[in-house]
Amino acid sequence: MAFVYIPVQNSEEEVRVALDQLPRDATDILDILKAEQAPLDLWLIIAREYFKQGKIEQFRQILEEGSSPEIDEYYADVRYERIAILNALGAYYSYLGKIETKQREKEEHYIMATQYYNKASRIDMHEPSTWIGKGQLLLAKGDVEQAFNAFKIVLDGDRDNVPALLGQACVHFSRGRYSDSLELYKRALQVYPRCPAAVRLGIALCHYKLGHLEKAKQSFCRVLQLDPENVEALVALGISDLQTNEASTIRSGMEKMQMAFEIYPYCAMSLNYLANHFFFTGQHFLVEQLTETALAVTTHGPTKSHSYYNLARSYHSKGDYEKAGMYYMASVKESNKPHEFILPYYGLGQVQMKLGDLRSALSNFEKVLEVQPENCETLKALGHIYFQLGQNEKAQELFKKATKVDPRDPQAFLDLGELLLSTDDCAALDAFKTARNLLKKGNEEVPIELLNNIGALHFDRGEFELAGEAFMEALGDGLWRDFVDAKAQSSFRNVEQSDVSGERFSPSRKVQSSLINSALYPIDASSSLHQPRDFQLFHRLEEQGTSVELPWNKVSTLFNFARVLEQMHDTEMASIFYRLILFKYPDYTDAYLRLAAIAKARNNIQLSIELIGDALKVDDKCQDALLMLGDLELKNDDWVKAKETFRAAKDATDGTDSYAAVCLGNWNCFAAIRNEKRAPKLEATHLEKAKELYTKVLQQNPANLYAANGAGVVLAEKGQFDIAKDLFTQVQEAASGSFNVQMPDIWINLAHVHFAQGNFALAVKMYQNCLRKFYYNTDSQVLLYLARTHYEAEQWEDCKKTLLRAIHLAPSNYTFRFDVGVAMQKFSASTLQKTKRTVDEVRATVAELKNAVRLFSLLSSASNLHFHGFDETKIGTHVGYCQHLLDAAKVHCELAEREEQKNQERIKVMQQMELADESRRKAEEQRKFQLEKRKQEDELKQVMQQEKHLERIKEQWKSSVSASKRKDRSQTEEEESGHGEKRRRKGGKRKKKEKTSHYESEVEADMENQEDVEYEDANTNYREAPDDQVENNPQDLLAAAGLEDSDAEDDAAAPPLNASRVRRAWSESDEDEPLQRQSEPEHVVDMQESDAEGASDD
Amino acid sequence: MKLAPLNTVGNAHDDSVWTAAWVPATDESPPLLLTGSLDETVRLWNPEGPQKLQTNTGHCLGVVSVAAHPSGRIAASASIDSFIRVFDVATNNTIATLEAPPSEVWQLQFNPQGTILAAAGGGSASVKLWDTAQWQLTATLSVPRLEGLKPSEKTGSKKFVLSVAWSPDGRQIACGSMDGTISIFDVTRTKFLHHLEGHNMPVRSLVYSSAPLDARVLFSASDDGHIHVYDTEGKTLISSLSGHSGWVLSVDVSPDGMAIATGSSDRTVRLWDLKMRAAAQIMTGHTDQVWSVAFGPPLTTDVRSCLLASVSDDKSLSFYKYA
Repeated sequence: MAFVYIPVQNSEEEVRVALDQLPRDATDILDILKAEQAPLDLWLIIAREYFKQGKIEQFRQILEEGSSPEIDEYYADVRYERIAILNALGAYYSYLGKIETKQREKEEHYIMATQYYNKASRIDMHEPSTWIGKGQLLLAKGDVEQAFNAFKIVLDGDRDNVPALLGQACVHFSRGRYSDSLELYKRALQVYPRCPAAVRLGIALCHYKLGHLEKAKQSFCRVLQLDPENVEALVALGISDLQTNEASTIRSGMEKMQMAFEIYPYCAMSLNYLANHFFFTGQHFLVEQLTETALAVTTHGPTKSHSYYNLARSYHSKGDYEKAGMYYMASVKESNKPHEFILPYYGLGQVQMKLGDLRSALSNFEKVLEVQPENCETLKALGHIYFQLGQNEKAQELFKKATKVDPRDPQAFLDLGELLLSTDDCAALDAFKTARNLLKKGNEEVPIELLNNIGALHFDRGEFELAGEAFMEALGDGLWRDFVDAKAQSSFRNVEQSDVSGERFSPSRKVQSSLINSALYPIDASSSLHQPRDFQLFHRLEEQGTSVELPWNKVSTLFNFARVLEQMHDTEMASIFYRLILFKYPDYTDAYLRLAAIAKARNNIQLSIELIGDALKVDDKCQDALLMLGDLELKNDDWVKAKETFRAAKDATDGTDSYAAVCLGNWNCFAAIRNEKRAPKLEATHLEKAKELYTKVLQQNPANLYAANGAGVVLAEKGQFDIAKDLFTQVQEAASGSFNVQMPDIWINLAHVHFAQGNFALAVKMYQNCLRKFYYNTDSQVLLYLARTHYEAEQWEDCKKTLLRAIHLAPSNYTFRFDVGVAMQKFSASTLQKTKRTVDEVRATVAELKNAVRLFSLLSSASNLHFHGFDETKIGTHVGYCQHLLDAAKVHCELAEREEQKNQERIKVMQQMELADESRRKAEEQRKFQLEKRKQEDELKQVMQQEKHLERIKEQWKSSVSASKRKDRSQTEEEESGHGEKRRRKGGKRKKKEKTSHYESEVEADMENQEDVEYEDANTNYREAPDDQVENNPQDLLAAAGLEDSDAEDDAAAPPLNASRVRRAWSESDEDEPLQRQSEPEHVVDMQESDAEGASDD
Repeated sequence: MKLAPLNTVGNAHDDSVWTAAWVPATDESPPLLLTGSLDETVRLWNPEGPQKLQTNTGHCLGVVSVAAHPSGRIAASASIDSFIRVFDVATNNTIATLEAPPSEVWQLQFNPQGTILAAAGGGSASVKLWDTAQWQLTATLSVPRLEGLKPSEKTGSKKFVLSVAWSPDGRQIACGSMDGTISIFDVTRTKFLHHLEGHNMPVRSLVYSSAPLDARVLFSASDDGHIHVYDTEGKTLISSLSGHSGWVLSVDVSPDGMAIATGSSDRTVRLWDLKMRAAAQIMTGHTDQVWSVAFGPPLTTDVRSCLLASVSDDKSLSFYKYA
């Protein structure tokens, strides 16, 4: 027990005061002190004792009394004690200021403290303790420079002044000069080895800051040894434990934190760490309480920021994004230095992204990236934002970087792949494949969507095998696999001879396969036409006990797989799968449309229409179905219906769909040129309408090849060949650059234009290329165009061969036979008109004419039986003409034969003469040379006679030729005039008088004349025929993309039209060669991939 | 079951080769191949070599079909001008010239007994039967219209008979038409039996199975890219084979009845294992439509194998060994 003794004034006695029994009321003791005029150090001791006992009020009362003016007066010469009292008050107030959280009161306390220190300084300028006090006050106020000066003054006076050393160390620490600070702390410790634990704490912190973690840890431990309740040391050790990342040390770290909290519950740091801990354990209530306390007790920016961050995170994880955002924001505001504490920026970015504020999120993530340029998550997050902002390139860059930083993150590759889908299929595929491989390596399940995407990309690139594999992998096991397996099994009832195939399958599979096969076939042949609408197969399978299952998430993939099978021409299997889809999901219209497309490809139009009807039953606004239906109706020659259907399709999308518009444009195009009897007015309006539609589409989408093609057709129809040609050429270039676009029409149209401009060689090349490239040389219509070009180019042999090919390809099209006849007739006529010809030529001509006659007569007799679409009388005319030509040719032939006979005779005579010569010579030799001269004369005479004879023969020959020629011509003319008259009558009807003379002119063999006429002819034909032929086949480009994505569904499936028609491609003029092509508007239509499902969706 | 390419004769004809048929072996000669072409000639080939033995002229317009008599001594060829020329294989002497206007002529087939020559009559919607003794037209098998179709309809004109095939016993004839229907006739009673439906595009080639138990099985090749397998008695579709990407122009069955070969406009020849529903092998030697494929008789050296010939629009002729 400690006592102080207050000496009683003017006596030897003392008042003993027990320090632990100080009166509650300080006035009592003050009275004693005042009354006894006790020395000031006693005042200080008692005040300090009060302070120690926590009786702050009494402490202040005594000190304030002790520094009052009376005391100053009374103890004027006791300087040191007065200063000490003032300094104590100053220290007290600076402490108050330090712990006060409210700014204004803090200020007030500091002012009070300053006042006391100043008073102390007035008493003695040089008192070091005052300077120390001042220095600490300045430090507390954050005025590091001034504090430094204050401590320096003290240290200049006494370089071992411990408090000043500590103060200065603190200054250095605040300035970040940790090694200087460490030096000072060490010196203080040397000077005063028993100094409190706090000094060692300073040392530990310096070590920590300097990165000497081990030393720091030792120092902290030492602090705790000295002062087991030192909160700072506990927290510091706790933190260092927590950072080790090992479960056991983390636990001990947490224990230390907890201890610190129990000792002093208002240490923000430990509160934050505890909150952090409870965040991870999911005790959000505790997190909030702890952080709120931490926020209340600290003013330290970074710590507050940390607390706000904890709070925000808690709300974030609870899904309260508004609040989380607010607190993240507060956290960011508190620290304001991304380099020190980046986490809240990331959190803020996430929340803003969630709330849709992409721009703010963007800037926050970018700040994170500035600090951590290789942060994968941030790269991905930024990538997503850029993607959503439509800045694909930037997004790609970021994802690429993310994949580079962490090449083992499948998600990053997946994201990258999805991003690349829109721009670079190839790179997207690579990314997807990498993702798949990574997932496989990690033994994770590869999502079906990923495999589906890989498959779809392969599909787009035309790699059907690979696409099939990917889809199959995505589908896994199921009924479909049984079907594929069953295919490899025997499917014939009677052909069960060998058992080779058995080895490949397990018995159960084999049973399954045979069950499937027995369910598949046989089917009644007459119902086989309607097979695609028949679900008996699956009912039968179910009856057999096979479960027919199709999980919803595999529908799209199965559909895609079926598309692949279709592309690989395994239409049977594809059809089964489409039906399986419909069996389980009858609303899947795309499957109906594909089945319809298959039926259409097999020319089963009726069934196709029925299937589309099924699709329309599901969705009567289904645009793809409507467009396809319209196309089929066109194919069936249902013009009015088709137009209505196209209109309906267009309306179904509010007229925004370019496909429907192009279809309507095509319709108008056909309508303009379909009528046999031309109505110029109607034609013009239709063309105008078509043009308008195409132009509109082109305005919306300048890259629409089909609309451009259509526009080209309209231009060509109007005779603007050069512009049309440019247009077609451009479209052709674009089309051949794209893998997915199959556009034979553009080649044909281009060829037509070449033809129209008389560029026959080029036109031939174009047609041939087109045939080879798109039709496997099987399109008889294109062959017909080709033949016509040969015809115009007067390449009769080629023309004939081409037509024969066409007959072989399309045997029932009798018009080809007629055309061959015409070509042969024309060939013969032109041969006969030649001035020079060999006998062989003439003979060939005769043979051709005979063939022509045979063809025409066969046709005319056949047309009694069948309906071919051309006029019998026209055939009759041709037969007549050919027979006439044949007669004429006979004359020619006889003539030629006679000529040749004579030639041969002459040669014979010559030979005989030579023979005679020789025999004579031999005879003469025998007779020796006696009668040489006379014999020579005889010889001469003989020779002369023979010569004369020869001349006579020549003359004869000449005269006979001219006579027969004359005769020939007159005959021809007679015949022809008859024809001509007939023709003129016909021609009159058709208002084409100017052309009536062709026929004669041709036959009259006036070469020059004919050439002129022919030329003109070609031109007029131009206006009429080839223009008609100009086709358009606008298929919507988008539709062609088919598998692209589910959004594309709208654009898909519509029937591109092909208005290829040759009205009278063949004839020289309407009336001459009555080749009125049965105007069967042929709509070469490819049904587009109506699907869409598939690819990049999911 | 495998096809091994043997040799190819490039420019076997001056133009597209459209048809081919094997001439059975005789005492004097091994099995030979007849080919017909757009160049208006029929040529005779010895697969050994291969060597061109003869070039027969006499046709106008392209030769669309050739057929050989089972005796191997006579053969017939038909062209677009609708004449059938019957000739002696060895000498090329014309034996008869047949025509039945206005019927044109497409595929020709002798019956297995060699007593009748059947000719697909095109637009006449009939199969013409000629007896091979007198070369007289003995019967016309007319294809009736499908029930329910009015004669006035446009489809009426499409009953255009393109192809013809004899059943192995010679009692039945199947004919394929432009609209895809196949008609079955009883020859002995010259009676139409029924239609087989399933195709909607021209059936250009037909063949009955040669396997002893499958005599009623018929294979049909159509422009729709499919080969159908029918049971002609049961009127059922046994199977449908898809895989060609173009028209299937020709089908023939192997002598052992285990496989069929098809030729297509997609330029391939495919061999189909009948135990599976997929192509066992795809030959891509030709550069244009493969108009005809034909299995030859079993080889004397190895009865389990035989030759296969294919002809194409690319003017070439190819031989393969089937084993």
